[in-house]
Amino acid sequence: MADINFARAISQALDEEMARDEKVYMIGEDVRAGVFTAQAGLVQKYGEERVIDTPISETAIAGSCLGAAIAGYRPVADMMFDDFMLICMDEMKNAAQWRFANGGFIKVPIVYRLPMGGYVGLGADHSRAMFSPVMHLAGMKVVVPSTPYDAKGLLKTAIRDDNPVCFFEHRLLYRTRGPVPEEEYLIPFGVADVKKEGSDLTIVALGYMVQWAMELAKEYEAKGVSIEVIDPRTLEPLDIDTIVKSVEKTGRVLLVEEDMTRCGATAEIGMQIMDRAFDSLDAPILRVGAKNFPIAGGPMEKLILPSKNDIITAIDKLLGR
Amino acid sequence: MKLERDDLLKLYRNMVLTRKTDESIIDGIKTGRVVSFFHSGQGHEATDVGGVTFLRKGDWAMAGVRGHGVGQAIAKGLAPREFLAEHCGKATGCCFGWSGFHTANLELGLPGYWGTVGTTFPITLGLGIACKKDGKGNVVVSYFGDGASGRGTLHEAFNMTSIYKLPVVWLCENNMLAINMPASEAVASKDVADLAYGYNMPGVVVDGQDVVAVAEAVMIAVERARAGDGPSLVECKTFRFRPHSEGGKMIRGYQPIPEEEIAEWRSKDPIVLFRKKLIEQGIAANVELDKIDGDAAAEIAVAEKFVAESPLADPERMFNSLYA
Ligand SMILES: Cc1ncc(C[n+]2csc(CCOP(=O)(O)OP(=O)(O)O)c2C)c(N)n1
Repeated sequence: MADINFARAISQALDEEMARDEKVYMIGEDVRAGVFTAQAGLVQKYGEERVIDTPISETAIAGSCLGAAIAGYRPVADMMFDDFMLICMDEMKNAAQWRFANGGFIKVPIVYRLPMGGYVGLGADHSRAMFSPVMHLAGMKVVVPSTPYDAKGLLKTAIRDDNPVCFFEHRLLYRTRGPVPEEEYLIPFGVADVKKEGSDLTIVALGYMVQWAMELAKEYEAKGVSIEVIDPRTLEPLDIDTIVKSVEKTGRVLLVEEDMTRCGATAEIGMQIMDRAFDSLDAPILRVGAKNFPIAGGPMEKLILPSKNDIITAIDKLLGR
Repeated sequence: MKLERDDLLKLYRNMVLTRKTDESIIDGIKTGRVVSFFHSGQGHEATDVGGVTFLRKGDWAMAGVRGHGVGQAIAKGLAPREFLAEHCGKATGCCFGWSGFHTANLELGLPGYWGTVGTTFPITLGLGIACKKDGKGNVVVSYFGDGASGRGTLHEAFNMTSIYKLPVVWLCENNMLAINMPASEAVASKDVADLAYGYNMPGVVVDGQDVVAVAEAVMIAVERARAGDGPSLVECKTFRFRPHSEGGKMIRGYQPIPEEEIAEWRSKDPIVLFRKKLIEQGIAANVELDKIDGDAAAEIAVAEKFVAESPLADPERMFNSLYA
């Protein structure tokens, strides 16, 4: 297994799927050059017919994917920033619902790639993590990878899925490295990954936050605290069983995400844990996420986004320390 | 509008101050003073300044994304130090330092900045509705790029400003690039100004490196707007001297732009061209223009010191700012 970075893993997945199925094409703003370099070299290999650069026309990008998908293609759209997907929320909602609302026989295979996230200082217009808005689009699948291995396996699955998929890529993950097999593999949706086993406390973390959870779990390990870290990897479908099993073991759970906690993905996960594992809980479920504010620009964003310290405080509180 | 000598010198001063403010931000990125990213407006000074310098106090200048609106803000009277302070995360910035890079000042007619390209079209429509309702003869000059013209919001706002005969001047700064995407591949018509025809408004193309040409064309459109005759579209052909954002590369499509071509663009520096013209036509002497340059440099030096000594943005103020 070679160590490659997250961006490379994404471009490998795109490359392999485009080679495998000529119905797959990429579309978006600056996809030939690649604004976040996650698709370097693909236009040279597949040509401009399959790596389609568009004007600044998010509505047309998202909506055209629906049309092409109905007609049998498998578009992969790059939205550049998940913040910009709100421009075309109607088109994405329509993509999610098209099949159901038209008799249930039409396939809508689309991947909306959503580079996203804060901690880069890019202000209110370019920094949001927006998982929950798309979780509200019934019919849409939602993927939030945290490692190069997961990114590649999940993106390949997303491209082969016959339903629309929102695929979130945290910008700070692009340069992170990890082992990725040479041979082909797919990761099914709806299977959480236990990134680290533990017995005292469960942390369920999303995307970039998985990295922090892993770092802290190692630090606590040294102090004799055993933390289990679960990465759901897909929010729709959500593997609640794996989470519940862990909570039954540890009795304590902390949910960490970068989005606002109000109506966030963790609010949903927390409620499902209450439904399924209330009797196993030895302490109230805690959540760490962004404050219910727009993201400030520059260093002030730190006051709004969750910090490692917030996670440490929550862990200590759950452990009664 | 006939431009007097003082008007011309004002244009020159505003352009120089805009360039020096822009340069100060770039220097701040290199030295770590600047807290966010920056999309330099170098090359656009004639359009940024020319379309705004002769507006009235009550008129609005809505900037697009380029330069974070630095030229429009300065031409509208914003002190460069407030622009610099905002980019350095200081409480003395025009948005109190927590926006990262936005520019706003309602008294000066700067309605605020937003990085989502094309957001400005419907906002401009709303400012236009407000100006018409106010009945004071105020207008909106609204900037956008060739890239922004791809947004669907343009259609809705162009159409409505025209059917409502709103006092709006649409000003397209066509620098032929949107990040890396060439306008030749992204804009269907030869000129963005051609769109005006479909919306029943006048559309003109001007040399965006010629500040006087820009100012004159915009002021004709402004007079028309003030008179209640509705919107116009002024397209300024210009150049983006630097990468889309600092740290990036000069790319067209997915190939590097040849050095000679960039040099050719840079040879059309609007400040150099205007300076030459002022001297050749005997409007100003070298020493006079040197003094304007020197004053601008001094103002920026003082501003940089002011920013360095300013306190960081105030978290309490920020957290009290979500709801009115
Ligand atoms: C809706 C939206 N899509 C994409 C972007 C990313 N982006 C920022 S600036 C830019 C290019 C803008 O080009 P243009 O309007 O020509 O203005 P210029 O930058 O050339 O001055 C793009 C695509 C954005 N900010 N907003």
